[in-house]
Amino acid sequence: MSAAPALERPQVVSHAQQSLSYTVFDCKWVPRSARLLCLGSAARGTGVVQLYELRGARLELLREIEKPKPIKCGTFGATSLQQRYLATGDFDGNLHIWNLEAPEIPVYSVKGHKEIINSIDGVGGLGIGEGAPEIVTGSRDGTVKVWDPRQKDTPVANMEPVQGESKRDCWTVAFGNAYNQEERVVCAGYDNGDIKLFDLKTMSLRWETNIKNGVCSVEFDRKDINMNKLVATSLEGKFHVFDMRTQHPTKGFASVSEKAQKSTIWQVRHLPQNRDIFMTSGGSGSLHLWKYEYPAQRSKKDSEGSEMGVAGSVSLLQNVTLSTQPISSLDWSPDKKGLCVCGAFDQTVRVLIVTKLNKI
Amino acid sequence: MPLWLREHRWRQTLTHVYLSLPLRGARATPGSIFCSERYLKVSIPPFLFEAVLYAPIDDTNSTARIENGNIFFTLYKKEPAMWDSLTLENADKEKLQNLRENAVLKAHEKAKEEREAKKVTKEEHKKYALEATMKLEEAERKRIEDLKEKERQKVTEELELWRKQQKDADKYKSIHKEQELHQEIGQSKGRKNEKMNKTRILNEGTSQTRLKPTKGRGSCSMFSQNLKEEQLPAPRSAATIKVNFTPRVFPTALRESRVAEEEEWLHKQAEARRTISADLSELEDLKEEEKNPDWLKDKGNKMFAMGNYLAAVNAFNLALRLNKNLPLLYLNRAACHLKLRNLHKAIEDSSKALELLTPPVPDNESARVKAHVRRGTAFCQLELYTEGLQDYEAALKIDPKNRNIEKDAEKIRHLIQGTME
Repeated sequence: MSAAPALERPQVVSHAQQSLSYTVFDCKWVPRSARLLCLGSAARGTGVVQLYELRGARLELLREIEKPKPIKCGTFGATSLQQRYLATGDFDGNLHIWNLEAPEIPVYSVKGHKEIINSIDGVGGLGIGEGAPEIVTGSRDGTVKVWDPRQKDTPVANMEPVQGESKRDCWTVAFGNAYNQEERVVCAGYDNGDIKLFDLKTMSLRWETNIKNGVCSVEFDRKDINMNKLVATSLEGKFHVFDMRTQHPTKGFASVSEKAQKSTIWQVRHLPQNRDIFMTSGGSGSLHLWKYEYPAQRSKKDSEGSEMGVAGSVSLLQNVTLSTQPISSLDWSPDKKGLCVCGAFDQTVRVLIVTKLNKI
Repeated sequence: MPLWLREHRWRQTLTHVYLSLPLRGARATPGSIFCSERYLKVSIPPFLFEAVLYAPIDDTNSTARIENGNIFFTLYKKEPAMWDSLTLENADKEKLQNLRENAVLKAHEKAKEEREAKKVTKEEHKKYALEATMKLEEAERKRIEDLKEKERQKVTEELELWRKQQKDADKYKSIHKEQELHQEIGQSKGRKNEKMNKTRILNEGTSQTRLKPTKGRGSCSMFSQNLKEEQLPAPRSAATIKVNFTPRVFPTALRESRVAEEEEWLHKQAEARRTISADLSELEDLKEEEKNPDWLKDKGNKMFAMGNYLAAVNAFNLALRLNKNLPLLYLNRAACHLKLRNLHKAIEDSSKALELLTPPVPDNESARVKAHVRRGTAFCQLELYTEGLQDYEAALKIDPKNRNIEKDAEKIRHLIQGTME
């Protein structure tokens, strides 16, 4: 293999890493800064929030905050750029919104669920998208709830199982389609392989499907546009990319699926600066960088004349193995193209730089 | 007998001996010449020429040239001296033999040495080649590493630059915000009837219930936030969406690779509960679910709850015909019989249930307690108080904390004491 062509592909360069003394479940960049947050659970059963700043090739700890319950997930998605409040979901089912300058008392707090909140997402903040700021949480108690920080105690939308139905764990949630003030969509993935798309404008179930493996992570390529693509990753190393522009009345959305590795794909994250590039993180400690290519025609007519979507293809740009333990969380920096942070179950958080993304 | 070649001619100088040997038509090859320090032999079957030389020669440098049917030897003398003759004339047979053998041995040794020398050089060459390839590969690797390092450094520098920009941008923003804040305050003070003022009052009212105002940069953002807030839509009206899940028996997550195993397990479970003796002709009329003892048990329980004890007994009877080893069926039928005042049957059923509930483990505690209590009740209603008390005490032993059982046991004791007196 000659060296010259190999280095034209994007390289994943390890820039800095930090060993932690707790299990890290989520890591997020603080918008408009070179700081990042690590959320997790300490050995004594309390929650930990640590704020690091990237200085040179090192991470410097700026603040450490301890909370009574372990924290599973967090998002900045629903706050404004000036406030930058962090919304977290913890192991007890509580949703809190914190002001990191004064973290003793939460700005908003509600016991949203009876069991652990597995996943959280926010929309309407950070100058992205339009409409009210909202936070969605998905929990092991089988419900998905949408909260508005201006309304206390009750969710503005609640997707719960029908009476008498046995519940399934909701493992992941994501917002999408927030291109104007009224439209909004929530996608939820469950452990029995269900993916459900809820339309918040009409308060109804818009689409559902089952991908035959528990769904670990779903993400739209952009929250603030007419929904374009949805990537859903699952157990057994598979992920599906759905083309969300054309919905067929019976067949739903077209999709292409890839089997990337033998182990669970824990997370998928799209590059904020290019919505056709995304990174998946796996249970074997590896990261794969993918590019989606659109087909020549995105929709075609089927035999009855209704529009049907056509899925494109996915190609692997690069892969790298960083750890022996699963990489459970991944976040791209919205400010610097190619900068990302990942947290793994070997109690390490790593800052990586992906090069040559301009040339794709 | 070989033919001896004797027509050789020779001449000598101080250092050299020149020998020419006509071959008489024979074809000579280099292999046919054998030469050592004191012995020279040319053997081309059937011809043979040999000479035991007068003095030792340097056989490595001596040459032989084959041309025109002659061999020309150029022999270098070891010691520059004039030889009396080419060969040792008056050598006896033995000496000649010895010399011949020595010569052969020496030749062998020389050959061996040469071979070894060759081997050694070959090895050295190999080693050298290997080292050379290794060096090349090393160089290649290093080149790639350097390229990667360069990338890394470039990227790190860019990052630093960007960070500095961020810091500067932040500073600039905060200064800018302060200026804006001053402007806004100035403006709003100046106008009383303007819309902005009204909304500010309104928003201040709501904001107090909403957030604690944050200090410094936060407070100026509150103003701009409030102005923006009237552009944000109101919170959505709350609604619920009911969800159905793809059914799954197991509480664990769905994995494709496990689906086959799970199906097999479920199948086996269903088989185990199904009737084995399906040759009862009446059973052909029944629907699939009515052949399932679990379903029948549930039906029986429902009937009992509704007060229809005879129907409940029927259900349990059918269930027991399908599977006579489920203790719960006997237990529940005993309860029905109690209600129907079929006391002997109640006793029978509770006893059967207790039999099936061996071994006595914590898991079937509650079932055993119930069995004892029911049997005890039946005995008491038959006025067999001592047997009844025995059962109640057994029940108490399993579950000492149950107040009802204690009370009933006390009552029975009193009754017994009462009748005895």
